[in-house]
Amino acid sequence: MAEPSSNQVRVRLVTPERTLIECDATSVELPSKSGYMEVLYGHAPLLAELGAGDVTIHGAANSVSAKEAEGAESDLRYDVNWGFVEVLPGRVTILASDALKPEEIDVQRAEQQLDRGQKMWLAAGDSEEAYDEALRVIAEAEAKIASASGAEKH
Amino acid sequence: MANVLDLRRRIRSVKNTRQITKAMKMVSAAKLRRAQERALAARPYARMIVSVLESLTRRVELYDETTGNISHPLFITRPEKRVLLIVVSGDKGFAGAFNANILKTAYQFISGNQDKEIDIEAVGRKGRDQFRRRYPTAVYAEKQDEQGRTIQAREPRQGKVELTGDHPGLLTNLDASRVQEMAHSIVSRYVREEIDAAYIVYNEFKSVISQRLVVERLLPLIEVGKQQIAGAVEPTAEEKERAAEAALSAGIQLEAADTTEAEEEAKKFGTANVDYIYEQPAEELFAGLLPQYIFSVLYHSMTESVAAEHAARMTAMDSATNNASEMIDSLTLHMNRVRQAAITKEIIEIVSGAAAL
Repeated sequence: MAEPSSNQVRVRLVTPERTLIECDATSVELPSKSGYMEVLYGHAPLLAELGAGDVTIHGAANSVSAKEAEGAESDLRYDVNWGFVEVLPGRVTILASDALKPEEIDVQRAEQQLDRGQKMWLAAGDSEEAYDEALRVIAEAEAKIASASGAEKH
Repeated sequence: MANVLDLRRRIRSVKNTRQITKAMKMVSAAKLRRAQERALAARPYARMIVSVLESLTRRVELYDETTGNISHPLFITRPEKRVLLIVVSGDKGFAGAFNANILKTAYQFISGNQDKEIDIEAVGRKGRDQFRRRYPTAVYAEKQDEQGRTIQAREPRQGKVELTGDHPGLLTNLDASRVQEMAHSIVSRYVREEIDAAYIVYNEFKSVISQRLVVERLLPLIEVGKQQIAGAVEPTAEEKERAAEAALSAGIQLEAADTTEAEEEAKKFGTANVDYIYEQPAEELFAGLLPQYIFSVLYHSMTESVAAEHAARMTAMDSATNNASEMIDSLTLHMNRVRQAAITKEIIEIVSGAAAL
């Protein structure tokens, strides 16, 4: 856990398969359902549902898993499509149903998914459930594409 | 009486078989180790979902005080008329009584609920093949509704028990997103009142010596975080002993790895004794988390079942190897006797021939 003086938050990203990353960071950006938010050390306790988008960990250091042990100034970015986050003053725990690195995203498949989503959206008609489902698929695909194209720019 | 040559040939054949079973045992042991690791790695997520749900249920009223409605449809209990049964079996044979036991438990469940309509969802190839032979597969037809949209409508039942779905290859590389889809379909079927309850039959696997076959209720949720066991079959002491022997000879740890520290960490998720700010209304958080909880129960049962399958195969193959060794010993003994008898006979012939001169 982060020392009170260090101004670092301990970040954990957990997926159904495994704990993907556990490290210290200066801040974390989270794609909450109602918009992006950034969490720094000392944030008030918070529970939020995450929508589709990128989790960005700024200034990751002291990673537990050796594979992720990169320089202190590196940003780690993961595309998440549904998740849940608990924020405590010194600790952020992200439960993500699926987390991909931008370079792992299959853009072609994401585009197909976007197409499928738009077709679902057109076919949804009056059914609110189908409409929500279509919107979810579209949001997921768009987030993936955005995340992947962001990776190319870097 | 078999001659020496025949016996030698048989011994060679049994030796070859032993080689194969030994190799299969080692392969299963390696796979078991990997499956155990995967089950272990999946635990924090499941544990965290449970603890955050538990803490939410404590803070949020499950019943709306003004209307008396239950805040989420997964909590609603209805009389069980239509039941979904998920059977997690293995993909391959040669695993001793593993698949047979699971199917037996499933059949017991079915015959114990004869007044209900049962839908079967088969995970694992062995179970699917069996159910396909025994029960009709549900037929879905595409129909047009009033607005001209195509919808999937189920044809009338052909029997009390129907197979509604199978998931080939799901267990071979346990893809979380496919389990996610399955959980999603189960939840939506429950919400649409196509089913009144969901049960899952699988082999629970904590470690080699601590495993059992369980029938667990998935839906409706009565209490979050508590396993709702409807029936369990413990292995006999003898079976446990065999499994332990096999595991020791293959270098597998008997006890489950110690994860208390990580568990304690995970248990704290969402339960800190502070007032959380809820980014979304608690009811919404709930609605998002509950299907995820169902998913994590499903995923957990599948990871454990895979580990159990490999453990069962390892044990079965260890027994087969031992049996082959015993057989080789007795055949060798027999062969030596036969050879000795032949030699003795020849000597007697020579001696008595000499005496007759």
